[in-house]
Amino acid sequence: MSARDVARILVVDDEPQIHRFLKPALEAAGLAALRAETGAEALRLAATQAPALALLDLGLPDMDGQDVLVRLRAFSLMPVIVVSAREREAEKVQALDAGADDYVEKPFALAELLARIRVALRRGQPIEGKRDGMMRFGPLELDLTRRVARLEGQEALHLTPREWDLLAALARAGDGRVVTQRQLLTAVWGPAHVEDTQYLRVYVAQLRQKLGAAATLIRTEPGVGYRFGAH
Amino acid sequence: MPNPRDPDRPDPDALLALAAREGRGRLKVFLGAAPGVGKTHEMLAEARRRRAGGAEVLAGIIETHGRAETIAQVGDLPILPRARLEHRGQVLEEFDLDAALAARPQILLLDELAHSNALGSRHPKRWQDVEELRDAGIEVWTTMNVQHLESLSDAVARIAGIRVAETVPDAVLAGADAVELIDIPPAELLERMRQGKIYRPDQAARAMRGFFREGNLAALREMALRRTAERVDADVTGYMRANAIAGPWPAGDRVLALVGADPSAETVVRQGRRIADALRAPLVVLHVERPGEVDAADPTPILRLAEGLGAEVETVVGADLPATILSQARARNASHIVIGRGRPGVWRRWLGRTLSATLARRAADFTLHIVPGPAGKARAALPAPAALPPWLGWGAVPATIALVVTLGYGAEGLLAERTLGMVFLAVVVALAALLGPWHAAAGAVLGFLSWNFFFLEPRYTFELLEGADLVGLGAFAAVALLLAGTTGRLGRSVRTARARMLALRRLVEFSRRLGGPGGLADLLPAVAEEATRVAGTPSAVVMPLEPLLPGAAPEPVVRAAMPVTMELDETAMAAARWALAQGRPAGRDTDTLPTAPWQFRPMRTARGVVGLVGVKLDDRAEPLAGETDKALTALLDQAAVAIERAQLMEREARGAARAETEQLRTALLTSLGHDLRTPLTSIRGALGTLRASGDALPAETRADLLLAAEEETARLSRYLSNILDMVRIEHGQLEPRREPVNIPEALEVAVARARRTTGREIRVMVRERLTEPRLDPALLDQILGNVLDNALKFSEAPVRVTARREGHEVAIAVEDEGPGIPAEDLHRVFDPFFRVTRADRVAAGTGLGLAICRGLAHAMGGRIAAESPIHPEGGGTRITLRFPA
Repeated sequence: MSARDVARILVVDDEPQIHRFLKPALEAAGLAALRAETGAEALRLAATQAPALALLDLGLPDMDGQDVLVRLRAFSLMPVIVVSAREREAEKVQALDAGADDYVEKPFALAELLARIRVALRRGQPIEGKRDGMMRFGPLELDLTRRVARLEGQEALHLTPREWDLLAALARAGDGRVVTQRQLLTAVWGPAHVEDTQYLRVYVAQLRQKLGAAATLIRTEPGVGYRFGAH
Repeated sequence: MPNPRDPDRPDPDALLALAAREGRGRLKVFLGAAPGVGKTHEMLAEARRRRAGGAEVLAGIIETHGRAETIAQVGDLPILPRARLEHRGQVLEEFDLDAALAARPQILLLDELAHSNALGSRHPKRWQDVEELRDAGIEVWTTMNVQHLESLSDAVARIAGIRVAETVPDAVLAGADAVELIDIPPAELLERMRQGKIYRPDQAARAMRGFFREGNLAALREMALRRTAERVDADVTGYMRANAIAGPWPAGDRVLALVGADPSAETVVRQGRRIADALRAPLVVLHVERPGEVDAADPTPILRLAEGLGAEVETVVGADLPATILSQARARNASHIVIGRGRPGVWRRWLGRTLSATLARRAADFTLHIVPGPAGKARAALPAPAALPPWLGWGAVPATIALVVTLGYGAEGLLAERTLGMVFLAVVVALAALLGPWHAAAGAVLGFLSWNFFFLEPRYTFELLEGADLVGLGAFAAVALLLAGTTGRLGRSVRTARARMLALRRLVEFSRRLGGPGGLADLLPAVAEEATRVAGTPSAVVMPLEPLLPGAAPEPVVRAAMPVTMELDETAMAAARWALAQGRPAGRDTDTLPTAPWQFRPMRTARGVVGLVGVKLDDRAEPLAGETDKALTALLDQAAVAIERAQLMEREARGAARAETEQLRTALLTSLGHDLRTPLTSIRGALGTLRASGDALPAETRADLLLAAEEETARLSRYLSNILDMVRIEHGQLEPRREPVNIPEALEVAVARARRTTGREIRVMVRERLTEPRLDPALLDQILGNVLDNALKFSEAPVRVTARREGHEVAIAVEDEGPGIPAEDLHRVFDPFFRVTRADRVAAGTGLGLAICRGLAHAMGGRIAAESPIHPEGGGTRITLRFPA
């Protein structure tokens, strides 16, 4: 693997101590670290160094992390993982809705962070590009063109149109990536229903029941949304 | 939106009256004209019918009088056991009110509404028990003979020649939801009597000769029938008004009775009641208080009687009596005015200016009733204005005159005998001023006679030589008597004014104490003290203690007493409990628990009862009345407002304290979130990296990660001890030692440590010899460490430390050359978790350092202050510590 192929990870955090261990940790995992301590620096590096992914702390000294995200999205589609404290639930959801791809909570386990980074980097290849419209998650097979879901070696599942739409929305988001409640509600029920989270609870419960043994494919992220996938 | 003038709209007053009835238990009265007509019998029969229909009926008190028919009617009705009261060694059986309240039957039977309870009961009268039962939502059925009605007691006395002692206020009957008349013709009643169904034969014969004469029975029967008919009328009217049925109303006939406090007032009230009854019109009893009427008697008893007779009572103030009466009569649409034949002064009678004459002239559109005064009763004597005992006052009159006579003899030749008349005159004036008009009049007569007898020729006779002397003597008598009158009045006014002034000054003094800043703890003893001063008895302030169970009655607690050691016995506490729960007076001289040694009156405000003032009255012969009563009432009102204000202030203060704690807690949580998590993330991350790929890392990276973990652990533990310090300070758990501290030495220790850990330059300047303040050296070291840390964090330039004497204090200042603190943040830098936001956010601390410094400094009696900027061109911060030397 040549130096050019090494994915560069932009680490945005004002705490020097975080950079102190992340840099060797990322390098040991075969990645490179770009260090930014302020929002302005982060935007400059994102524009000039073309990093493969950004780890963004929301509490920055010079500007709000949310603003950094919005400005970043204006010119870049690179995956962004938000790093934040647990009690800032609302900020987390806001960041995800504003285009962040995932989040980890401080204090995080290094292994988990690296796994999230790998998932987000994989998303680089667009899923819908698959020509036959077929997707596979563990034992579950989805035919996006014919709107059919089937468990390995069984007949097609009987899904209502809404249940299918919800399943498809989760699947399209990607393997193991978090989707916020708001994003799901907008995709399935329309923008008028973004507050009706009880729809989600009911339909997700129905879906899980129909998926049977494969129900664990849908994982709840309390207060945020859902992840879908075998990983 | 209903139109207020809409004639079809139900009358709100009528609806209100209906609503007031709905919350209370119903009252049904079985009304009869005489004993033996079958009231109890009928009540029992109906009660058993209702019980058979499933109602829960309890017989509270049933008086069968041994009548077989009645006893048979009791049947299987459950009967409430009677309470046994012990009074002066005698055991009495009485209705058990508390047991009845506890049993909460649907319907309670209580015979003989007019019954007077045994001494030691809660209420003196049974009808008061009934009111309390109804307040508790229990329906009560009772029996009553018409002669027990308060307003009829006069009439009954006239007809039957017997004055009924046990009376029931008319308002009780008027407030009954149903009245059932038990009526049998007198002849039939007498027949039953002869058969021995009512009394034993010997009693029956006596009764038939006395009360049970046919004429009496007929008159009483008429009264009962009429009362019931009026009631039916009132029910219909009430129904029509409540349901907005337009109808032929009586044209608002009203009777207005004017009462003073004179003995004729009672007759006026009773007569007014009778006239109103005859007209089937409401009765208004009016009392006009005239300004400047200083020693008028207290009208309260008469007004209470009027209320008992179901009259509406109104007290107004007006100087012109006839005008006031007329304006009130017009305002209330009265058609009849009832007044007493008062005893107007001689002059007024001559001039035709009596009240009756004036009213007769000016009140052409009213029917005027003039009620005769009670025969043979003289006007109540004016209270003697003199403070001296009466015999001394009367003895002083002849003594003074004798003295003047003696002096007159001594000065014989020096003084013309006619001039001596002036001396007598002067003495009369003095007597009038000091002792009052009657003494002066006596002095005038005595002086007149003495002058004539001892000094005017011919001496030692009452004859007169010259006509001129006769004229002089006549003039003397006239002037002396006139002076006696006016001077006496003047003296009395002065005394009253002085008493008023004293009372007023006391009131002002008291309200100043009430308005003081001391809060409830100071206020309540002041109220007790004042109550004792006003009433002249021991007193107590009783406050409600919130009950542990919601909905339970508040428990009374004595919060202040005068004298302080005063204790209240169980009876007194029972009265207090009742007064608190009901918001009405209780105890001695009231309707509730009158045998208690104490009387309790509620202190009320618009929000309700704030507490009680109790006065110990068992050593007093008379109930509180007049000025004392008024002063106590005024005290209650003032105290109520003051106590409520103090309570609100205390509540507000508690709320503010809670808000502050809340703010601190929020800040603590936010801080914990950030300041604990960041080092934890670093430690976990460093360890995770080492574990996952330790072998692949260069040696120096491994060492750095281990160092990072160690440093972050130290940071975490520093933060935790800061939090613990803060909590200790906040909870006042800090007990500093005190010993003389050498300031330069302490500075040197702290500075040396800071130099070691940061490698930065710190300049120390102490130019003078300092006294050694008594401080805790360890705490001082902690303060200095924190302040230095702070200064070094915010500034790259050297930090300067100075110490010097400032008056009686030692001042230690730490200055940095950093960017300074924005003016709006300066006063907050010592608040816990406050951090000055800096653009580059370098070296942000926990926000606790300076807060801890302040807490520690205060604990040692010192102060800490921040100044910024310290240079005219801006920039720099100076933290100054000051300790008393």
